[in-house]
Amino acid sequence: MLESDFQKKNRFFLNMGPQHPSTHGVLLIVLEMSGEYVLDPQPVLGFIHRMHEKMAESRPCQSFMPNTARMDYVCALPYNHGYVSLVERKAGIEVPRRAEYIRVITSELNRVASHLLWLGAYLLDLGAFTPILYGFDDREHILDILEDITGSRLTYCYYRFGGVNQDIDDKFVDSTRAFIKRLRKRFVIYEKLVTKNIIFIKRTENIGIVSPDMALRYGMTGPNLRGSGIAYDVRKNEPYSIYPEFDFEVPVGEQGDCLDRYMVRVREMEQSLRIIEQALDRLPEGPVRAKVPKNIKLSPGDCNFAVEAARGELSYYLVGDGTGVPYRLKVRVPSYSNLSCLPELGRGILLPDLVSILGSFDLVIPEMDR
Amino acid sequence: MAQETTNFKQDILFHEFNATETDYNQRGYHLEVALEVNQVRKFAQKAYDQGFFLVFVTGFHVLPEETEEGTTSGLNGVYQFARFDRLYRIKGQVSVPEDMSLPSICDIYQGADWHERETRDLYGINFEGHPNLKPLLLSDEDTDFHPLLKEEKKLKSLEKVSWPPEALESVDADTDAKASSTDSIDS
Repeated sequence: MLESDFQKKNRFFLNMGPQHPSTHGVLLIVLEMSGEYVLDPQPVLGFIHRMHEKMAESRPCQSFMPNTARMDYVCALPYNHGYVSLVERKAGIEVPRRAEYIRVITSELNRVASHLLWLGAYLLDLGAFTPILYGFDDREHILDILEDITGSRLTYCYYRFGGVNQDIDDKFVDSTRAFIKRLRKRFVIYEKLVTKNIIFIKRTENIGIVSPDMALRYGMTGPNLRGSGIAYDVRKNEPYSIYPEFDFEVPVGEQGDCLDRYMVRVREMEQSLRIIEQALDRLPEGPVRAKVPKNIKLSPGDCNFAVEAARGELSYYLVGDGTGVPYRLKVRVPSYSNLSCLPELGRGILLPDLVSILGSFDLVIPEMDR
Repeated sequence: MAQETTNFKQDILFHEFNATETDYNQRGYHLEVALEVNQVRKFAQKAYDQGFFLVFVTGFHVLPEETEEGTTSGLNGVYQFARFDRLYRIKGQVSVPEDMSLPSICDIYQGADWHERETRDLYGINFEGHPNLKPLLLSDEDTDFHPLLKEEKKLKSLEKVSWPPEALESVDADTDAKASSTDSIDS
């Protein structure tokens, strides 16, 4: 980037957000600008900080369940999943197999819904209006399917310690199978509409390249990391629930630009569909909820549980003190670490490219602010 | 494969530090490292050299203890590292001295920058050497308000919120079983 004397004298600050459409929530980025170039982007967080971790310390562990869905509201079921699995590990609760199958099916449906929302919103950031209409149309089907069994459309509180709240029925199985069939046909449309679009490629290729070393220094995870060619997926690397029983791939990109991150998410949706299909085929009979004590005691000592949320590794770290109330609960959220590389990544780039990078990170602000 | 895993474990056992292998199925991490304040940076550097990524930095608040060097602040810094290429998680824990400061590791792991700012917000731990230790999650006016500090009557001693010592000793017995479970993941 060449900066003329005029530009050097006329550096200015620009507040991007907290109401900017492409920050997708109340995120503020203070940009030091020279002309159209970004010199130093500094994210400012905390606009919707609710101190979930303090809430966890002040109520029995069961009562924290609804909070888990209110961090990443776009993909809430993996957050449910991580929290119930954490307490199950701490209290030594066995989960019936059917319940684990239902958890995996619903979590993967939620992941597809999250990626569809991202796909539409990202293209909207880049100036294409149509894809969000297609994306929301497909996502709506998933929300309807999940609403029938969980009772909510967004902030799910469906999993319970030792199982799930209620069993799935034939209607759920049929509509999920029908949806998978439908979405596979829609992928063809997306490919024609987006993936091969020359304007889209120009806006994403070679933009915002995250090197593997940079990803390691910032602790990036999820599709943002896999775009850089590192096949780290908690479902494979640190298998939990019944994921080891399914045959699925971990798509990776090559150079870590915005286009690679896009391709990873698109290919991941197909892998999620494969997991759901296999789970539906092998769905065992049996109870969906184990008998657990009404007041769960968290024994003294710490315990960690990691799951793969739609945006990367979600870790719950719990310190118990022998009562039913967690002594300390730390929630490690993926978007927080993913975004922390922005000051380094966004130095010396054009403002439109910054919008492209932010979109490709798939940020959910309430998750970062907690 | 089992051989490789064993060697790997020996390599990263962090011999300079007070490290204990733990039962992964019980705790969700493999190695617990008890750190002194002056070891924190060395520990982070070693983790970086060996290819670990930073999962999080946080803290927790217990009852202050009388030690030979004086009273502790009661705060503990917790560091967690993991790997991209295989299943191995490390937890480092350090007791924060009375002056409430820990060395910053954000020049080794740039990702620690925000985690340390957040920990300062919530606990008031001062990270020495951090270039920009201003509030991140809390507002700029709240520099003296640390929500995760507990009231005195709710504080428990570190012993009461740690795994009982016998749980540590029983770990050696099932190390083999753990090694084989690690193998199945790599394949």
